[in-house]
Amino acid sequence: MPPVTALDYPAPDASALAALIGRVAASRDRTAYATLFKHFAPRVKAYLRRAGMGGAEAEELAQEVMLSLWRKAESFDPARAGAATWVFAIARNARIDHARRRREVSFPDNAPEEEGHAPSAESLTLSAEREARLRGALGALTPEQQQIVQLSFFSETPHAAIASALNLPLGTVKSRIRLGLSKLRALLEDAP
Amino acid sequence: MIRHHPTPETLLAHAAGTLPAGHGLVVAAHLQGCARCRAELAALEAAGGALLEDLPPETLAAEAFAQVLARLDEPPPAPPPPPRQADLSLPHGLRLPAALRRAEIGRWLWIGTGVRYSRVRLPWAPEQNVMLLRVAGGRRVIHHSHGGAEFTQVLWGGFRDETGHYGPGDIGEADETLAHQPVADPEGCICLAALEGGLRLPWLTRLLGG
Repeated sequence: MPPVTALDYPAPDASALAALIGRVAASRDRTAYATLFKHFAPRVKAYLRRAGMGGAEAEELAQEVMLSLWRKAESFDPARAGAATWVFAIARNARIDHARRRREVSFPDNAPEEEGHAPSAESLTLSAEREARLRGALGALTPEQQQIVQLSFFSETPHAAIASALNLPLGTVKSRIRLGLSKLRALLEDAP
Repeated sequence: MIRHHPTPETLLAHAAGTLPAGHGLVVAAHLQGCARCRAELAALEAAGGALLEDLPPETLAAEAFAQVLARLDEPPPAPPPPPRQADLSLPHGLRLPAALRRAEIGRWLWIGTGVRYSRVRLPWAPEQNVMLLRVAGGRRVIHHSHGGAEFTQVLWGGFRDETGHYGPGDIGEADETLAHQPVADPEGCICLAALEGGLRLPWLTRLLGG
């Protein structure tokens, strides 16, 4: 099989991805899984690299994340979260567990999932459509707000370290986060 | 009614998975009882999804897909054994948050007049300093400040400090800049707390002094 690059096929849209996860859940459909793998594995690897992992480590953990996606497909509820949101949550939890394993060798496996870390929309319906709208909304933030939000998601750095990396006072980082988040919320509420 | 929620930065850090495990556990306990914050978290997780979707993809090894395919039929890892949890004789109707399901919970230890402490140990992050506290009605905790962030989720009863009143479902975030003196409500208070820093028990010293 050629290297998976995700660039050599038309990217499935959010609702197509959700449908593919549904097919894995319903009938262990390996063809659907292959498409999901092509789409998500390279993105998950990119996410893990941004979180500071080396290439080989990110590769290995990306494979684990994709295996979790196969095992947990039944827990995906498209009315609660979009496909990318669900995969993000799995990748994030894997990253947390991995960091713990690295620190604490005496607790080698079966690190439990934390409660409250499952995709957790209940009163808010985040359909695939809404997820797509959010991508637009992120693009509407100022570059400074985008930078802080991205750093918040993609580095393991607490806000104090982000502040010193950007040479900004902690208060400025916090207020940019707040501004960015309230703008995001407003953009989502305005959307049709 | 819940009056005190996690700050926006805290919810963002929780969505991003960058909170220390103990603080994340306290936030998870809050989320269980707070629909508003669950909705907020869902929106933040969707932001994470959108950012993931837009990342420039990184090529995987040629054999990556075949390797994963070969493992699809492996049995999933067995769940860890149930943790040891002491019977805390909680007030009628109070159930511990689901977030504590996999935590080891020690018995109540007397650490000062009207104040008891139960160590909460997270097997997956044993270095975290997490505890349940039970403070008798009207009991005043001595004035204290923090070495780092202290998150406190009220499970039962309530307390008041310089920043306001905290009832069931409320979360308090105190950082090193806050020096406060919590006083338990007349019916007492049970809360779940996480403190930054190793296994020091700052409560011990400050409570014994009170």
